[in-house]
Amino acid sequence: MLRNLLALRQISQRTISTASRRQIANRVPEKQKLFQEDNGMPVHLKGGVSDGVLYMITMGLTVFGTCYAVYELFVAAMPKKMK
Amino acid sequence: MTHQMLAYHMVDPSPWPLTGAAAALLMTSGLAMWFHYNSTLLMTLGLLTMLLTMFQWWRDIVREGTFQGHHTPPVQKSLRYGMILFITSEVFFFIGFFWAFYHSSLAPTPELGGCWPPTGITPLNPFEVPLLNTAVLLASGVTITWAHHSLMEANRNQTIQALTLTILLGLYFTALQAMEYYETPFTISDGVYGSTFFIATGFHGLHVIIGSMFLIVCLLRQIKFHFTSTHHFGFEAAAWYWHFVDVVWLFLYVSIYWWGS
Repeated sequence: MLRNLLALRQISQRTISTASRRQIANRVPEKQKLFQEDNGMPVHLKGGVSDGVLYMITMGLTVFGTCYAVYELFVAAMPKKMK
Repeated sequence: MTHQMLAYHMVDPSPWPLTGAAAALLMTSGLAMWFHYNSTLLMTLGLLTMLLTMFQWWRDIVREGTFQGHHTPPVQKSLRYGMILFITSEVFFFIGFFWAFYHSSLAPTPELGGCWPPTGITPLNPFEVPLLNTAVLLASGVTITWAHHSLMEANRNQTIQALTLTILLGLYFTALQAMEYYETPFTISDGVYGSTFFIATGFHGLHVIIGSMFLIVCLLRQIKFHFTSTHHFGFEAAAWYWHFVDVVWLFLYVSIYWWGS
């Protein structure tokens, strides 16, 4: 247990001092190339398919939610009968 | 994306203002549904669309600035103005609650016993956890300044360490405050003392959580090499917001916890 603790201490110290150990490479130039590509896509869809999926989910919830809210408002405005 | 030659940023058409507005509608009508009709569906939908809007809108801003290079010096200046104006509006938001506190506590009514704290209220000892909280937030102010200077000196690892420490201190504050809330002998419905205490400290706590999340995003961006030593406005905005949260706490501590006990 103590040996593991000492090893952990060594590794964490080495990780802090040498970025290469962390294995995070600088991917910003790739992203810059992707988002500067002249393909006419708006920025909220330019990242790929997952952008479109997330957009559709958000818009779907928005439209459904707005319709539901308006429906509930109408129901709340009616005195007794539920249609 | 149109090709522009001017220094200002003409943004692409975006759906997020619309979804954000709809989210506000859903949250507010959802609150009414929850209070009066015992249904949380609308409010949950509102919260969900709000979170989705916030994530995608800010993701797009990162794309526009860091990946597309739209944040030229004039654009950055306008972003700075924007953040300063927003924080100023938040200052006024808190001024309202401090006004309420001082209105009630400077001239306590006979119904309260003519004294402050009111009769029957045992306030928290300001020299116990609240003092620790003060130290925690002040320390976090130091660590975030350390992070900023490390960033400006292009010291990647120290920036990451200092920012992480700031976030941990922020989370520690939140945890301590949550425990305090659990332990208070009074509740929000205990007269004007309870109301002013929990509304003021509650909104402050919410701002600490928001600030911590902003800092976490900055940490992730720093790890992903988004910031340079000369251009890192997102980090500066987070730091300004964090200092604002710290200052509000100091006012809360002196007014409500210390003078008000």
